[in-house]
Amino acid sequence: MGTAAQVQPAAATAVKRLPPWASLGIIFGLVSAASILTWGPIGVSGTYPRFIGAILRRIDPAYATANPYLEKMGSLLKPESFLVLGLLIGGFLAARVWRVAKPAIERVHAAEHSTRARYMNSFIGGFLIIFGARIAGGCTSGHIISGITQGALSGFVFAAAVFAVGIGTAKLIAARGN
Amino acid sequence: MGVLIQRVGASSPMMILRNLRLENLTVIKFMATTIAVGAMVAYGLSAFVPMHFDIKPLYLVGVAVGGVIFGVGFAVGGYCPGTCVVGAGEGRKDAFFTIAGGIIGALAFTLVFETVITPLVKMTDFGKVTVASALGVSPIATAMVLGVVFLFVVWKLPTDVTRKR
Repeated sequence: MGTAAQVQPAAATAVKRLPPWASLGIIFGLVSAASILTWGPIGVSGTYPRFIGAILRRIDPAYATANPYLEKMGSLLKPESFLVLGLLIGGFLAARVWRVAKPAIERVHAAEHSTRARYMNSFIGGFLIIFGARIAGGCTSGHIISGITQGALSGFVFAAAVFAVGIGTAKLIAARGN
Repeated sequence: MGVLIQRVGASSPMMILRNLRLENLTVIKFMATTIAVGAMVAYGLSAFVPMHFDIKPLYLVGVAVGGVIFGVGFAVGGYCPGTCVVGAGEGRKDAFFTIAGGIIGALAFTLVFETVITPLVKMTDFGKVTVASALGVSPIATAMVLGVVFLFVVWKLPTDVTRKR
């Protein structure tokens, strides 16, 4: 029939014309579902305190076993740690395969007048995102993506706070900086 | 996952800030698409096979406070705990500083956990609630509706908000 023959190529060209955020988002969604199928939802931030735990267990085992948070987070040998390792490898491979020249430091905020300023903001940012993520119990992957995917109210609350404050802060910095 | 993040631009702090300033919505749309597809597929599969869902408990004050702190760090640094690892893999120097800050942050959190965090966090714990459980409706149906709504919104929103003249 004419219509069936027309629908097929139209669908194929539609998929090919998908913007990157859509095609990559679909793939990531499938990866996320596959993760829930095999071991559990994806997450990242827990790996940071587990890393601390692994180090402290070597340096001061008495403290490490007495600290309830380290005991709660457990061993570094969890699926999540391998996912984080994969992020590192993935970033490396993607940059090489798609032959991106080593990205220069981006001047993320107009007020960052030196690379030292960028490094300081990066460090402060890094401290706050992990500290905040552990208070909340998750980060963009664990709370926002995995949480909302599963319909968890905690994910919605975290996302609302992150975006409200993140957008406000970003716009404030832009308005004040020059 | 690392490849996907790098390709969509999420490991670029410049791109993250453009999203947070609402100038470009690529990363937000990427996340929404991921959520929509993940929700529909995961809950769709749950009708046939057991799934390893893991709902994070809603201890309201802790989740909200954590989100606020995270939001500031996200806007100042331009990275999240995952994207800075991808960035480090790419060779971004500021990503390494972010990871360093994150490790110190994890250490600080570990040290103050018992005294400061536990009481703060355990206030108003509503448990592992989901939209479906709160409304008393089918989780699979909720996931499908959520997925469709997210995809529709994402399709309708512009990606490049600041039109170049």
